Amino acid sequence: MNMKNNFLLAATLLFLATTGFAQKFYTKSGKIDFDATSASSPEKIEGVNRTATCVVDTKTGAIQFAVLMKGFAFERALMEEHFNENYVESHKFPKAEFKGTITNNETVNYSKDGTYSVTVKGKLTMHGETKDVETQGKLVIQGGKVNANASFNVLLSDFKIAIPGLVADKVSKTAKIIVSCSLEPLKS
Amino acid sequence: MKRKKIILYVFLSLLVIAGAVGFYFYKEYNRTHKDTAKLKPDYTVTATGLLKEFETNEQTSNKKYWDKVLSVEGMVKEVTKDDRGFYAVILGDTAAMSSVRCSIDSAHSNEAVTVSRGLTVTVKGICSGYNADEMLGSDIILVRSVIDKK
Repeated sequence: MNMKNNFLLAATLLFLATTGFAQKFYTKSGKIDFDATSASSPEKIEGVNRTATCVVDTKTGAIQFAVLMKGFAFERALMEEHFNENYVESHKFPKAEFKGTITNNETVNYSKDGTYSVTVKGKLTMHGETKDVETQGKLVIQGGKVNANASFNVLLSDFKIAIPGLVADKVSKTAKIIVSCSLEPLKS
Repeated sequence: MKRKKIILYVFLSLLVIAGAVGFYFYKEYNRTHKDTAKLKPDYTVTATGLLKEFETNEQTSNKKYWDKVLSVEGMVKEVTKDDRGFYAVILGDTAAMSSVRCSIDSAHSNEAVTVSRGLTVTVKGICSGYNADEMLGSDIILVRSVIDKK
């Protein structure tokens, strides 16, 4: 962080203090579940990451996620190692990112409590590949905080993640991604 | 007679080998993560020193620290608890945006309760990397962390 950024931050904070309403909401402890359990599998192939970063700009509807692949925790140590070494190759591609927009952002009143259905459209980058993703989600505004929930499926082959034949009956070709974040106003 | 005996020995030794291999795979398959509290740290660092190292050279630091057990000493900026009761201890310079974020192993949640903002603690955890962010401040993420010293 350099001086310029600090200055910008101070200016933003000053602006926020005078307007009394945060334009941006964020979290650094967002939860992302990754579930690639195939229908015929006797065991669950799922990992969870509780350190996802998420920022929503209420004015423009821009929404961003960033997550470290090595931060996904699996119950079985071997599964976690395979996930990192063989499937997502986290040493080569340490981060997954989503950059998109809430297409119906004008229908969300961020200063009024309530539940809003939203459509999110954007680009997901994982394993060095970028693909368009569109999904339905829910924003719950409550007491000045924003809860963001969404789930969507990705085709692993779209991200060049190959499933070996040996485990094809356990690991699904599509992975379900479940996002749940509790966002706070960006200040202080 | 002699031939029969040889066949029997071969058969028995194969059985033992098959058993050993089977046992190994069974153990390996069911292996869970080792308790971080029982692991020896690969590196002992301070939160601010570690952050500086990652800021200066992310790639080299990644290679050095990824998946390693780190013992990090630092000032507690915040202790968070999510809706499912998982704790995180955030270490670093309270005046700076960047931090070392340590997800506390759920088996060690009771240790997280005992620390609070302003205390200097040592947290031991597995380094899963660096999340650079211009706007929100960059973070180093430790997973399966335990409080080592207060």
